[in-house]
Amino acid sequence: MSIGLEDYIFVSVLLFAIGLFGVLLRKNTLVVFMCLELILSASILALVAFSRYHATPANPLMEGNTFVLFIIAIAACEVAVGLAIIVALWRRNLTVDLDQINELKH
Amino acid sequence: MKEFLFYFFATLTLAPAFFTAISRKPVNAAMNMLLAFVGVAGLLGLLETYFLAILQVMVYAGAIVVLFLFIIMLIDAQKSPAPEFIRFVASLAALVIMAFFGFQLVLGPFAAPYPELPAEAPASLARVFGESLFTRYLLPFQLTGFMLLIAMVGVIVISRKPEAEAKGGEQ
Amino acid sequence: MDLGTVLSIILLAPLVSAGLIWLFARQRAVLAMALSLAAAGIILCFSLYILLGGWNGEPYEVTAEWLRLGGLSLSIGFLLNNLSALMLFVVSFVGFWIHLFSVGYMNDDSARGRFFGGLSIFMFSMLGIVLADNLFMLFIFWELVGFSSYMLIGHYLNDEAAQASKKAFITNRVGDFGFLVGIIMVYWTFGTVSLTELDHILEHDKSAVTAIMGLLLFCGVVGKSAQMPLHVWLPDAMAGPTPISALIHAATMVAAGVYFLGRTFLLFTPDALVIISWVGVVTAACAAIWAFGQRDIKKILAYSTLSQLGYMVAGFGMGSLYGLHAHGDSHSALLYGVGASMFHLTTHAFFKALLFLGSGSVIHACHHEQDIFKMGGLYKKMPLTTIAFAAGVLAIAGIPFLSAFFSKDAILYVAMKENYGAFIILSITAILTATYMGRLFFIAFLGKPNSESAEHAHESPWTIVVPLLVLAVFSLLGGYLWMYPKPLQPIIEGWVPHAHGADHTTMIVISLVASVGGLAFAFFFYGRGSATDRLEKIAPPVYGIAKSKFFFDEAYGYYIRKVQDRFAELMAFFDTLLISGILVRGAAGVAGLFGIIARRLHTGSVASYVWWFFAGLILFGAFAGGFLDGLLR
Repeated sequence: MSIGLEDYIFVSVLLFAIGLFGVLLRKNTLVVFMCLELILSASILALVAFSRYHATPANPLMEGNTFVLFIIAIAACEVAVGLAIIVALWRRNLTVDLDQINELKH
Repeated sequence: MKEFLFYFFATLTLAPAFFTAISRKPVNAAMNMLLAFVGVAGLLGLLETYFLAILQVMVYAGAIVVLFLFIIMLIDAQKSPAPEFIRFVASLAALVIMAFFGFQLVLGPFAAPYPELPAEAPASLARVFGESLFTRYLLPFQLTGFMLLIAMVGVIVISRKPEAEAKGGEQ
Repeated sequence: MDLGTVLSIILLAPLVSAGLIWLFARQRAVLAMALSLAAAGIILCFSLYILLGGWNGEPYEVTAEWLRLGGLSLSIGFLLNNLSALMLFVVSFVGFWIHLFSVGYMNDDSARGRFFGGLSIFMFSMLGIVLADNLFMLFIFWELVGFSSYMLIGHYLNDEAAQASKKAFITNRVGDFGFLVGIIMVYWTFGTVSLTELDHILEHDKSAVTAIMGLLLFCGVVGKSAQMPLHVWLPDAMAGPTPISALIHAATMVAAGVYFLGRTFLLFTPDALVIISWVGVVTAACAAIWAFGQRDIKKILAYSTLSQLGYMVAGFGMGSLYGLHAHGDSHSALLYGVGASMFHLTTHAFFKALLFLGSGSVIHACHHEQDIFKMGGLYKKMPLTTIAFAAGVLAIAGIPFLSAFFSKDAILYVAMKENYGAFIILSITAILTATYMGRLFFIAFLGKPNSESAEHAHESPWTIVVPLLVLAVFSLLGGYLWMYPKPLQPIIEGWVPHAHGADHTTMIVISLVASVGGLAFAFFFYGRGSATDRLEKIAPPVYGIAKSKFFFDEAYGYYIRKVQDRFAELMAFFDTLLISGILVRGAAGVAGLFGIIARRLHTGSVASYVWWFFAGLILFGAFAGGFLDGLLR
């Protein structure tokens, strides 16, 4: 049995679900953020797999891959800003526990 | 051989990912995330997109994980208490439901038939990337660079100490 | 320059001025004054440009669609013909001098910004009526003059002014309702409201016109030109500043009704014309009687205005009938009515504006004393004002060969030819006019001062005196053809009915007797500068009848108290119960309930948001995966 597109999608879906599971389960903002990164990776994997399997010699560019490049760049920005926010939060509240950070309500 | 590599990398992705989600120490979570990223990079390599695989390792496994570790050290993150049982069960249920729906969407009866793997991949992906980035995708590429700059400035602004506090510290 | 551009500038200059005043000059009186005066000057200059050579005298129309509602197209456009040119001349000329007068008269007012802004708004609205080329546009500006009149009557912010402005607005609304229905009826019948197209249709076929259509349109005129029975607002409107009384409630706005009649003269059937004539005759006669019961200088002039407006309306009706009977059912025959009424409108604008401005000068000099019996002897203190006022009195009395002699003669002449009863009533009214104007003049200006303020009166500044003298010249000579720019001469020359032969002599004799007799009677009966009303002393019942104004106000008051207020209370009850009780509070309650639920969701906790996010994800997934097809189908 050879490895098909569906196998990669299978892995991608599972990775996404695990990421979501982590986001829902954990209270530590840092870990929640890590799980978000996993979700992002899942989408990267799906994009690359789809574009690889739809590539033709006439169209070798595989547009999905270009998107992935941009996703990685944006993810770097996102992590930088997100972590800065976490640091600012910690400096303010001395905690990174999501359940204790509910200032949006007030 | 290829199948073996696929299963190996898939396991290397999913198992550490799961441990990331459940490990109580942030450092452990970060190390597991590193492994998961390496696994994803391996899968990308299997898809013959070596350039992206290298990027994945460099950016995610390199830069991002290091950043995480750095922040963990900075804010001195401690071991979290074990999550409540009910929350664990609910999250696990969410995992199952999500996975179920994902499969239904992409692998279920409604999904389109999947194509076979084309025999040959483009010869030099990095070169194709380079050409497309500097011709067709020039504007998004520039904007991405600009966005990185904005992120950098934003991070500096956010993580700076509030001015009143900084002054108070000096006195 | 293109004629359309010139007309646009004329129309928009006051609007721009009003906008600038509203934005920048509400607290800067001098700037507001300058802007408003500049706008009036621009209007006058461009109007004179049009009349003295910029226009060849041919009807000129330019129109643009403004908005389209289904099959109904509303357009905005200008129609310049002899008639509107004459009105344009009156409005811009009189308007400019009254603007100049206001600068002097209002110099100690604290809200000059508001006043001059209102004045500019009024000029804009009035010029819109003058230039409008269709009935809908005319109606819009018709309402706008109503609004500016309301705003300016209430300028002084006291209780009397507030009541008067409300009364003016509401009374006008009653008439305008009929007016609007009439316009809709015209549109329904002819499929157009453009004046030019209506003219074309009606020139060939007048069978579709009904009397009721003309009478509904006439309702608007009854309101705006203060004819019986909607005349009650005009005397009360004198609570406004005197320049407003001169400009709006004497020279231009109230005359807009008459102008409208001239603009749409083909829409009136003979039956309607008879009714219109009698409304005018009755208004003229009654108002002249009521003028004897007044002590307030402006109120006397207000009733005089009513009376003269009655003359114009009667002149329109009788003149058109005269044309029909004398020359058959032709287009040009009907122009006699237009000519007679518009000629009187023009001369009236001159001398009545003059009289009001003169009274303003007197009021200004006497520190806002308006009772003529507390004046007296002003001729020594204010010679120029006295001379100008005397010119106005002589003109309105109809002394031969002054302006009103010609215009009133035309109306009396057509009345004599058409209906002898109306002719006699109007002739008696002419005598009464001369008498009450004589009463006003002799008591206020001759004799000795009757009060402190009259003793300390002094001549007004040049901004007040110059407009008086200019208008005095026009009041005296306004009946002669050569006073008018060339494009206006056809109206005066061709449209105004002139008496010939024996009739001509009769008219001169009647005028002479009426004017000189009336003035002489007033001179000897009321005395010079007397402090009390002799009529009141000799015959209290007669004076009482004149003062009662035939109980119109009381009748309306009774109706409003007993009928309208009861109905309003009933409606208010339903309003409280249904609208504000169930609809408004109910809707608010439902919205509040949703608010309570939505607030529950807003916990501020990131984890709960993630759960909601997950729920949305599942919903979307279920939809995309086809799981909801059963539900949705």
